[in-house]
Amino acid sequence: MQTQDQRFSFTGTGSEYFRIWIVNLVLTILTLGIYSAWAKVRRMQYFYRNTRLNESSFDYHGTPIAILKGRLIGVGLFAAYYTALKFMPLLGLAIGLFIALIMPFLLVASFRFRLYNSSYRGLRFGFVGSIKSAYVVFLALPIATLFTLYLLAPFTHQRIKAYQHNNSRYGQSPFTFTAGAGSFYKVYLLTLLQFILVGGLFAYGAFRMIGGSMATMPKEQIIFPVVIATYLVMIAASLLIIPYFISRIQNLVWNHTQLGAHRFSSTLSVAGLTWLIFSNFLFTVVTLGLFKPFADIRLARYRIEHMAFTPAGNIEEFIASEQQQIGATGTETAEVFNLDIGF
Amino acid sequence: MKTVNANYFDGLSALQQAVALNIAQGQLEVRGEKLIRAEPLSNIRISAKLGSAPRLLNFAGGGHCEVNNHADFEALLRDAGVLPQSLLSRMEGSWRHALTATVLSIVIAIASFYWGLPWVANIAAGRIPDSVSLSIDTHFLDAVDKGLVQASQLSQARQKKLRKRFDNLRAMHGLPPHQLEFRSSKVIGANAFALPGGTVVVTDQLIALASNDEEVLAVLAHELGHVSERHPMRQLLQSSVVGLAMTWYLGDISSLLAAAPTMLLETNYSRNFERRADRYAASMLRENGIAPARLADMLEKLEKSHRGAVKESGEQPSRIARFLSTHPDTAERIRDLRGDGSRQ
Ligand SMILES: [Zn+2]
Repeated sequence: MQTQDQRFSFTGTGSEYFRIWIVNLVLTILTLGIYSAWAKVRRMQYFYRNTRLNESSFDYHGTPIAILKGRLIGVGLFAAYYTALKFMPLLGLAIGLFIALIMPFLLVASFRFRLYNSSYRGLRFGFVGSIKSAYVVFLALPIATLFTLYLLAPFTHQRIKAYQHNNSRYGQSPFTFTAGAGSFYKVYLLTLLQFILVGGLFAYGAFRMIGGSMATMPKEQIIFPVVIATYLVMIAASLLIIPYFISRIQNLVWNHTQLGAHRFSSTLSVAGLTWLIFSNFLFTVVTLGLFKPFADIRLARYRIEHMAFTPAGNIEEFIASEQQQIGATGTETAEVFNLDIGF
Repeated sequence: MKTVNANYFDGLSALQQAVALNIAQGQLEVRGEKLIRAEPLSNIRISAKLGSAPRLLNFAGGGHCEVNNHADFEALLRDAGVLPQSLLSRMEGSWRHALTATVLSIVIAIASFYWGLPWVANIAAGRIPDSVSLSIDTHFLDAVDKGLVQASQLSQARQKKLRKRFDNLRAMHGLPPHQLEFRSSKVIGANAFALPGGTVVVTDQLIALASNDEEVLAVLAHELGHVSERHPMRQLLQSSVVGLAMTWYLGDISSLLAAAPTMLLETNYSRNFERRADRYAASMLRENGIAPARLADMLEKLEKSHRGAVKESGEQPSRIARFLSTHPDTAERIRDLRGDGSRQ
């Protein structure tokens, strides 16, 4: 049966979200951060409920208390690590090691929490990945990656995505992931080529600007311009190359993900995402952060509206799984460490 | 009879059913083509309004309705005597509240940066064990010894003599022993600075600039003034918090950018810190029979030497000099120190 693509749509607006964001921000400040858990639930609900597919919206069910508990643990771990590293590097290293050891466990907990607390059409999502496999993909493989000088990075990335997607459920229906490591190597290789190209251009430009005078300068005076130039290259690379990487990976991952026999597709364009990330960054800095809610909405709309769902049959036949209760600790701790573990 | 269109989901399958909602005698009636369900309102959790996102009606026994027609649904609730909106939703919906919240958060941000953060840093700095702050000094010296500064060219005898006078200086004032370190550096030039653990570092260039030991001691007394009030540790804590907050807020891509301003913050003390260190130095110097005006002389020379470095070799070192300069508003401080001295 040939069916039409169903596009995901996003109905949130910047002006509406700004008001929600700023009111919740002030409440968070006035309660010394305690309210942030409630604010997060509002934020997640706003984004989920405004994400629509086939006339119905998604919903988020996480409870503030569960999030608050996780957040306290997360902030505690992070603060211990950060202060120890600054004042007692050895202890900081020990804490970092401890965090690395429990991270796979926390990640599994956070996937479970986030998926279980997401629903579409009244059916919850779920995550059934085992802790054992989590230690393989989130600890063993990253260590192996380090020891192979990042040659294994694309392979590890593929394994992580496969672990996440193959263990996700919608109701009782499993997701499957079919992209191989080869296609990840291709994206990484093209990204690396761009990095060399952009970095080379910048280095050439910098050399032309400073010219030969650098050779005659004393060593101490070269350090400063070199540090600044390195910063500029890194920022340029972030703004030019990271959008390429993000868009190619998102497309690769979703074009090879299925729910039962139903397919997904993602068509993010590099130019579109580059402009979006660049302008978001610029406006956020210029407005001292007040543009942030608008930026979040723009990015969400762009990512969501470039996704589509291709049903292979009647999607109303999905049925609910037995529901279970899971703690929030995982997601929150991982979020503090700025890990994108988004589904 | 007024009804509101909605979609109904039973919570068991993904089946979507178009329904009409109505409230009668405290009961919500859900009517669809193949469905009639009536539930008392007390068994239904109605989600608070959240912008124009759909509102969700969750039934205690499973199943929910999704409502997109906000105006009609609110009218339905009002007619049934249910409070239409929570206080939070009202605040989130109004531009007046949003504006108030914006102004309030900007005021709070500024206030916590100028008053809250220094206050907390001051309390925290007093609670950090000496062993910890001393290890920071060691790490800092290790780090700068690899490039920014080199070993001092001063003779051992000269170093010993200066150390002795430095010890007398602080002992007279009842301060515990402090480490004095000598280094040479073309990059930072004539300079002296105190580290969080109380170690004072002085460059050969500064000693060469001074006409006599009293001028060197005047600068060291000023640095001890910073140490006695834990300015270096407070500054370190403050800039760490600012850096952390900026990294957190701007996110991964721009954490590089966030690091730059904190580096700048780290080297400049507030005008208030400088004035307090000057006052401390003045009293310490007087106890040792040295006129506070020696510090003023030295400040003048340092100012001139840093400006001189600018003229000599163009734009690049000027930026470095300004970058590492630890003493702003020099003219005013010189006037105060001389005034202080003449009153004696
Ligand atoms: Zn000073």
